[in-house]
Amino acid sequence: MHPVNRRQFLTTTGAGLAGILAARVPPARGQQREVSYLCWNNFAPASDKKLAEIGQRFTKDTGIKLKIDHISHMGPQQAKYASEVQTQAGHDLVEMRMHFPWLYEPQLVDVSDVVVELEKKYGKAISSSYEGAYVNGVWRAVPQYHGMFVATYREDLFKKASLKVPDTWEELYVVGKELKKMGNPVGIPISQNYDSISTAGPVLWSFGGMEVDKDGKTVKINSPATVQTIEWYKKMFKDCMEPEVLSWSDASNNESIQQGKAGWIHNPVSAYIVAKQRKLVTADGINHHRSLGGPSGRHETDTPRHIGIWKFSKNIEPGKEWIRYLLGKREVYDEYIMSGDAFNLPAYEKLQDHPVLKTDPKYAALRGEGVQYHTYGWPAPPSDKVQLITNSYILPNMLAKAVTGTSTKDSIAWAENEMKKILAG
Amino acid sequence: MAVRVEEIQVPRGRPRLADRVRGWLDREGILGPVFVTPALLLLLLLVAYPFLMALYFSLSNAFIGRPSQFIGIQNFVKLWESDAFRQTFQNAFVFTGIAVLFKVVLGIALALLLNQQLWFKRLIRGVVLLPWVIPTALSTLGWWWMFNSLYSVVNWTGIALGIMDPPGPNWLGQKHYAMAAVIAVNIWRGLPFFAITILAALVAIPRELYEAAEADGAGANARFWHITLPLLKPVLAVVVLFSTIFTFSDFNIVYVLTRGGPVNSTHLFATLSRVVGIDTGRIGEGAAISLYLFPILVFVVWAQLRFVRKQAY
Repeated sequence: MHPVNRRQFLTTTGAGLAGILAARVPPARGQQREVSYLCWNNFAPASDKKLAEIGQRFTKDTGIKLKIDHISHMGPQQAKYASEVQTQAGHDLVEMRMHFPWLYEPQLVDVSDVVVELEKKYGKAISSSYEGAYVNGVWRAVPQYHGMFVATYREDLFKKASLKVPDTWEELYVVGKELKKMGNPVGIPISQNYDSISTAGPVLWSFGGMEVDKDGKTVKINSPATVQTIEWYKKMFKDCMEPEVLSWSDASNNESIQQGKAGWIHNPVSAYIVAKQRKLVTADGINHHRSLGGPSGRHETDTPRHIGIWKFSKNIEPGKEWIRYLLGKREVYDEYIMSGDAFNLPAYEKLQDHPVLKTDPKYAALRGEGVQYHTYGWPAPPSDKVQLITNSYILPNMLAKAVTGTSTKDSIAWAENEMKKILAG
Repeated sequence: MAVRVEEIQVPRGRPRLADRVRGWLDREGILGPVFVTPALLLLLLLVAYPFLMALYFSLSNAFIGRPSQFIGIQNFVKLWESDAFRQTFQNAFVFTGIAVLFKVVLGIALALLLNQQLWFKRLIRGVVLLPWVIPTALSTLGWWWMFNSLYSVVNWTGIALGIMDPPGPNWLGQKHYAMAAVIAVNIWRGLPFFAITILAALVAIPRELYEAAEADGAGANARFWHITLPLLKPVLAVVVLFSTIFTFSDFNIVYVLTRGGPVNSTHLFATLSRVVGIDTGRIGEGAAISLYLFPILVFVVWAQLRFVRKQAY
């Protein structure tokens, strides 16, 4: 073998490097396929562990390296999306909640081909997934799972005081008064967070109200149904709750029932799952029942999650392969859903009666027949403006104003004015 | 062997590169810019570029990930129609005014105390700095627990001492209490900066002035008003200037404690800007909110620096 002198070494490596830079394609040995996936910290932590495990198997089976990063689901997630989009750099895949795909529509790859395959196998995606990720006739993200808001209550306290499990919001007021007298008030947040909207929406819808009409342009908050909603909130605030709900974060209602204070909250099953995992003394006493109804039926906020692929990604096909691996293989999807302990429920129609609901008798209420699931802003079609109304917390702020002394009429007029300005802008 | 001077060969032609560089660096006109350039580049990259970008965004209808158009000052005009913005504007002045006032008064008091001959003086001075040193988000999280309705140690203590009726104030859920809470945490956080800076100025005041005043029969009050305070004025002006800017642009405390609630009653420019610019994607409006105070702050800086110069010369 001839020794290589310095001049030959520099010439050869220089030419090679120039070739790689010019072609912008790495040599075959450096071409290991890799995708990065940004998702949120799941409220059921075991689900994140299972995701990592499935990811390792995916790498072994396909040779595609998968890097999974987790981020808190609230503020930091939105900031991260914004910075990735603005810099056109970051993760290939992102987990999105609710109707975020509408906000980032121009930046998301059309993944209709993947969704069509999944729908062939599992039936149509559920309506809330359509509301959130089917943007102007194109799937901008693949429905992954969903978790709905049910009623979480202290069954032991109800039995002790012989209270009837409520079926309507009005019936909740009756038992709520008793619960407050027992020192276990109802815990519905009326503050600047998403849980507040997740309850205010169903109450408003159940009374027949809405924020914006189906056309997405006409503000409809000024209606008799909103007056009924506000009056209901006022009496609940006065007789069934404590003023602390005005300062609550998304986690506060969970903590309140877990720590033995609240007797009834409106929340997904995460409060129970965490109480069970941490072996809290309240876990045994917690149970769930169907979300409540009103004169206009039983409506529920659903929180669908989807997986989107950024357009700037250089790994679109490997990204789709990962989605197909996680969601398209029945045994893998089942394994993933089971790990979420009923917090993550399948997002496709044929899988609604999933075995995960039979793992604990307290999940029976999650079947929720006859409940209509919606995302925020329903019945207005999701759009960036409806998202802005949601993210500006106009609905909970209107309620907070009303329960703290502003007249019902003035509170509604304020909300109407704010919503009109957003839709006009 | 003796060498004659004529035999020494002096190299001709161009001097070596190192000599030429040394020659250039000897010239003030070149050395000055060389020293300033790295700092200037950093300023351009880290301050000027983001500032100009924000300025452009504020004059456009920029939305995350979508093409934007120049729309002049429409964002600034439209903001006044927003109830949340008008509330924020008022909050910013209330928050900054009260917090800075308390920090000045308490800062002077604390500095005077620290200037006394105390046992463990150095240790105490170190401990006083702790709120300033701990990352704000972390310490505010501690305060959040203390004000939290379910776990509030503040209320628990107040009730135990009999000065509060159960369940105690709803610190983060009622607008006046919430504003009081964010102001209190801001004062707690910013007080060490005032105290230590004023202490440095106090130490520099010549003892002879106090001795002469004492000899003339001036009491403690007279010495404070006629010697201490006038000599602290230049330092106070600079500290108040910095604190006013930092307090106006505070973000962490409000974001962690109240997220701007209840009903926008504690939103500051930075927190509202984040909600509008990041959470809802309207970067143009978000940038306009954060830049709204820029002209006012420029005036404040100009006025205070002018005052400092007058004091100094």
